[in-house]
Amino acid sequence: MLNVRELLQSIKDSPYELIEISAPHTGVVTFAVTEPGARVSGPSGSLLEKPGTQLAILERERNKKPLSAPQKGVIEAVRTELSGTFVEAGTPLLTIRHYLTADEVVDRILKKALYLFLAPERAKYYFVPEVDKKIKAGGSRSVRLTDGQELFIMSRMKREATLAYSGPEGQIYSVYFRVNENVDTGQPLIGVCPGEQLPLVQEVVAKVRSEWGEAR
Amino acid sequence: MKAKRHKVLVANRGEIAIRIVNACLKLGLDFVCVHTREDHASGHVRLAREMGGEKSLYRVASYHDASELLAVADAAGATAVHPGYGFFAEDFRFARRVVTRDRPLTWIGPSWRVIRELGDKINTKRLARRLNVPTVPGSDRPIYDELEAEDMAAKLFAFQSEQGFDQHVVLVKASAGGGGMGIEEVERIDVFKSVYRRLRNYAKRQFLDEGVLIEQRLFGFNHLEVQILGDTSGKNVVHFGTRNCSVQSAGRQKRIEVAPGFAPAEINYRFDAARVLNDITEYSLRIAREVCYDSVGTWEWIVTPKGEPFLMEVNTRIQVENGVSGAIAAIGGIGPVDLVAEQIRVALGEPLGYDQGRIGLKGASIEYRIIAEDPDNRFAPWVGRIERFDWRREPWLTVHSHVPTDTPYEIPTEYDPNLALAIVTGQDLAEAKARGLAFLDGLVLAGRNAGGGELKSNVDFLRKKTDTLLVF
Amino acid sequence: MEIEKQIQRLQDRLSYIRDIFGPKDNPNRQLLEARLGEFLARGNGLSLAEQVRQVTQLEDLFRFLEKKLDAELTPMDRVRIVRHPQRMCLKDILENVYDNYSEIGGQDEYSIDPSMLIARAYISRRVGKKVHNQPVMVIGQEKGHGQEFRNGGSVKPWGNDKALKYMRVAQTENIPIHAFIFTPGAYPVEDYPGAAQQIARNLYEMAGLTVPIVAVFSEGGSGGAEAIGLADYRLMLSHGYYSVISPEGAAAIEGKTRQGQRVAPELIEACARQLKMTAADNKAMGYVDQVIQEPPLGARPDDYEFFKLLRGELIRATNQVILSVRGLKFFRAMALSRKSKAAAAAVDPESVFVRWSIGSGPRELLAWRRWIKFRGLAQAAYLDRRTTAQKIFSIGQDLAWSLNSFFRYEFLGKHRKKLERFVEEMEAEARVVKDKVAAPVVKIGRRLGVGGNSQLAEAERDSLTKLSNPEAGTCLTDESWAYLSPRARTDRAVTCPNAATHGCLDLWAPDLFGDFAGVCSHCGHHFPMEYEWYLYNVFDQASIHEFNREIEAGNPLSYPGFDQKLAEAKEKTGLKSACMTFEARINGLNLVVALLAAPFRGGTVGAAEGEKFIRAVERAKKKHYPLLAYVHGTAGIRIQEGVNGVIQMPRCTMAVRNYIEAGGLYLVLYDTNSYAGPVASFLGCSPYQFAIRSANIGFAGPGVIKETTGIDIPPDYHLAHQALTRGHIQGIWDRREARKNIYQALLTMGGRNLYYR
Repeated sequence: MLNVRELLQSIKDSPYELIEISAPHTGVVTFAVTEPGARVSGPSGSLLEKPGTQLAILERERNKKPLSAPQKGVIEAVRTELSGTFVEAGTPLLTIRHYLTADEVVDRILKKALYLFLAPERAKYYFVPEVDKKIKAGGSRSVRLTDGQELFIMSRMKREATLAYSGPEGQIYSVYFRVNENVDTGQPLIGVCPGEQLPLVQEVVAKVRSEWGEAR
Repeated sequence: MKAKRHKVLVANRGEIAIRIVNACLKLGLDFVCVHTREDHASGHVRLAREMGGEKSLYRVASYHDASELLAVADAAGATAVHPGYGFFAEDFRFARRVVTRDRPLTWIGPSWRVIRELGDKINTKRLARRLNVPTVPGSDRPIYDELEAEDMAAKLFAFQSEQGFDQHVVLVKASAGGGGMGIEEVERIDVFKSVYRRLRNYAKRQFLDEGVLIEQRLFGFNHLEVQILGDTSGKNVVHFGTRNCSVQSAGRQKRIEVAPGFAPAEINYRFDAARVLNDITEYSLRIAREVCYDSVGTWEWIVTPKGEPFLMEVNTRIQVENGVSGAIAAIGGIGPVDLVAEQIRVALGEPLGYDQGRIGLKGASIEYRIIAEDPDNRFAPWVGRIERFDWRREPWLTVHSHVPTDTPYEIPTEYDPNLALAIVTGQDLAEAKARGLAFLDGLVLAGRNAGGGELKSNVDFLRKKTDTLLVF
Repeated sequence: MEIEKQIQRLQDRLSYIRDIFGPKDNPNRQLLEARLGEFLARGNGLSLAEQVRQVTQLEDLFRFLEKKLDAELTPMDRVRIVRHPQRMCLKDILENVYDNYSEIGGQDEYSIDPSMLIARAYISRRVGKKVHNQPVMVIGQEKGHGQEFRNGGSVKPWGNDKALKYMRVAQTENIPIHAFIFTPGAYPVEDYPGAAQQIARNLYEMAGLTVPIVAVFSEGGSGGAEAIGLADYRLMLSHGYYSVISPEGAAAIEGKTRQGQRVAPELIEACARQLKMTAADNKAMGYVDQVIQEPPLGARPDDYEFFKLLRGELIRATNQVILSVRGLKFFRAMALSRKSKAAAAAVDPESVFVRWSIGSGPRELLAWRRWIKFRGLAQAAYLDRRTTAQKIFSIGQDLAWSLNSFFRYEFLGKHRKKLERFVEEMEAEARVVKDKVAAPVVKIGRRLGVGGNSQLAEAERDSLTKLSNPEAGTCLTDESWAYLSPRARTDRAVTCPNAATHGCLDLWAPDLFGDFAGVCSHCGHHFPMEYEWYLYNVFDQASIHEFNREIEAGNPLSYPGFDQKLAEAKEKTGLKSACMTFEARINGLNLVVALLAAPFRGGTVGAAEGEKFIRAVERAKKKHYPLLAYVHGTAGIRIQEGVNGVIQMPRCTMAVRNYIEAGGLYLVLYDTNSYAGPVASFLGCSPYQFAIRSANIGFAGPGVIKETTGIDIPPDYHLAHQALTRGHIQGIWDRREARKNIYQALLTMGGRNLYYR
């Protein structure tokens, strides 16, 4: 079975994640944060309605778009030499050193504990409308899966095909893909928690939460 | 051309981007290419790196993002935009933005007004009818009266049986609908009324407009087109003959195109094929002159088994298959003609410089679209890695491809699965067909997908279809 | 022991004074503190007799200085009095004013809403030789001396619904309603039945109630007060307030402070003064009929003299309302009239008996008199720049329309309908005969195969392939709008707010605000659009005829700095008030439109807007036209006008009710942010409310909700789709289809009296 303690220890040894912020599209970049070491925070508010610390502004076709920090952390590096220049889409702009939160640690460990349903092809994935509605209404954990159930719409090459779930019965515990983004072959789409494993998973969650200091 | 040196933004990808770049090089123009993350290995990126000057290649978030393209145009100092085909080619709003923004650029394509005018199918139909150009029978405005609708449907069924179609389908469309919404098929007149009423009520609820169009779906016709070119004066309009694009996939995507549209010298037809070709050319020119057509464009025609042509629509852009027309054409005896270069040349303000009399059309040409797909499974695209791709170079063969031949290539899943266009020419159709088969036989195309499965392609399908090309 | 209690009471009085006057230096308070302190310090050493003497002296001093302090009360001090837990509340009134009562639907916290209290109460008295037991329905907010679960008298939508239910019961039972207003404002939740919508419903129903309503204002906080305050007679307690907004709320807006920031107390004091919210102010402006004097520093639960006074005034007011609509009344009415104060004071209201149930004739008259009363309010609060000649002309025109409508729709209309019906019948008869004759011919035709499918005749074929209706021209689709937003003239890209969730690409402003009419072509998000867009793109070309433009928004409270702001708004928008009223046509159908324009002071409603709205409603009624309230945007009642603004809620709702009851069609269309008072009255009462997708609809904006309830609300809380889900509106329209939808509504909705029906 899963050795939670060992996994947790390995994460504790390197409790950081480096998040690279790159230009989502072309434009002239100006930095709002210029010094490495600056502390930034992610979206806040009880509904995460307030965006994170503004990092930079990307102006394209006279439309200034703020880039804000997706997570709490410390600025590791800023490419200030790009300030005021036109950058291509995907140009790395800054990196944030992010101390993992308990939730993220849980997520990492769960990826090992849950049954992962993988993307069979590089494509964009969507839930079929019935499931999508359910998730929007009650969260992903309200969806119970059975083997052979139609779950995804797979979109590639301008064609769409439905994709059935195969694997153990259970509830969708985590969703790993985002709408409108390509998922590579073999990447997990969802993590499914089989019914009998639910207590185990909950135990893991409780354990990590109690052992992971969130302070930083 | 004035002293100003133009720089063309190539707002497209793949083989058409390559053809545009080559045309620019030929005309002595600068260019700038764009590419997405997925397309980093595409041939057009490599070409831009090798042949481009300063500021000639930019990575963008998406080819569909107009702001991305125009921001790059400004950053690179471009003066003109070539949209290629697909993406923004027939988007009159994009064309309008290009020429009306504060830093206007030259639009390499028909003026946005022409794109808008001919982009509206009903409008095109009414325009054609006003000029006595035959169009696909059916309504040319929304119908609100039940009796009128039923009467029209009955006549359409009669028309279909008279023209020798075996399958009869009339379409009822909500005139305010779009994108496939609000279309119903009717196969027998006695159910028409109930379908009509259902659709009318739907349209009333959904679009607050009861108007419907009564049209038809035709089967077993031939798909012909006429290649038109005009300059910005709008006064000089010429044609480059006809094409036949009847070999299509299950999803009605073209797979083989042939120029000319029929071969009456080699094949027997039940109708006067030469006259049909002549008629559709004349009709197309009539409309082009009326709207002052000012770029390359294609007039698409349906020809029924009885040999009657009806205008289907106008494509206000360069088409994939322009190469077959160029291959059999010569201007003042010099050929083949690069229609992409011609399009750029006239868009930048040069007069056409020749009239119809100087254009000669000779021989036959076939274009194969080589695609990784499974023709036995409704042409489902095949995704994977191409390991070997090569062919024997011949003087009668041109291959347009963005797929490298010297290194493996992962097919991006984002875009059209087209791998290459192969254009073969011959003195006549028979020679072109023979060369076509020779090319297909010698083609090397192999690869594997993530599951280890062999590459699937449409090469066999193309080979099978070659024998009966232009037979109707 | 007695002396201990007396001392305790004095200490309580002192701490009450401290509460009311706050920390400011006040010599009177300091004197009381010093004297009481001295006495307490020496207290135990004195003989009992001496103690009694000194306490009595102290009591006299308190009484004297309290009176003195009372004269110094600032408006904000009065607000503190009204909010003080020691202030008498509705339960105290039920105990002390009425002779018997049963509370209905509530036992402390066990109630659907403990802030709203309903009781069936009796006033019993002996007049002459007879004992009269007169029942009334008591409805009011209960503050419960600070009991947590009473929520400070801030009533939830279902509490107001309960109030409405028992108003209807009172009507069924034909007994008067006594409404007691003890509320800082309604509790801003949107859940069904909806804070705003329920108040609107209450106002609409109260406008038509056929029993006398007497209201007593202690704490009249805006919309919450109106929910039960639309009365025939409005009494106000001398230390109460009646206002459009709390002084703190006004100060927060004035000081432009953000959530959570503290507002300077001086600013709050100033706002309290400027809002003219005291009893005297409201009496002077005519929004209450009479002020009841409270004891110095406000009535507390043991002020029995005050309750006696209140009881007398309630009886007098109820009697007076009934006598005003009843035939035989002369002497009693005279006796009750407040016009001669001396005479009135001489007559004890307890000694005058009037039966409180009334017959059906006077009942109808009651609602009508209520309307006349409210119609006449706030007439000095707006600017009317019409010349005398124009005013006279407009009266004549009104009369002409009424006459014209009467002849066309009442007199001739009836005859025409009869004739039409006759013709219809005849046609139907004829059809039967014709069918019988023609039937055999049709059958033969079928048998011969006419219309078969062998060969298409030339003409038939032409009809499939030749241009139909050549005169209609080539292009059938004209995509350009008649009005182009100025934002469509700047070359820039715009990001859709849904881009992160829906993947929308940036839109080019000229496309977005031009062709797309402000709608994201990817996700359908509606950007707000100028109201001019609707003027030009919804109504028939050049069909708009504006009226009453000369009625202008003013500054009735002489609110400092507001003249300047108004002038700026007029200059900037070219409008004279936030309400534009006009006649227009859609596909040839005439209608009257009242437009609330957001750019003019946020589309707020004050006296001018209310008056213009009412006149538009009256015009639609007279001309038998449908009425559209197009709410481009409204932030609520204009706070700088104070109660002059609030009073538009009942006024306009009453006008709307008269119109709908007379068989009109009242359509409301929300476009952008539509909040507060107007939604909680004349907009929210329409049975046909629709929203353009860009609309946010609610009672209070997110900031106010956070402030008053402490609850974080999701950003989509007020979206039109939420309002539809909650049952507040009847449908959501795409902006580009507004014209079609309104036309469709005109044809399919509404009452019997529309001119085209």
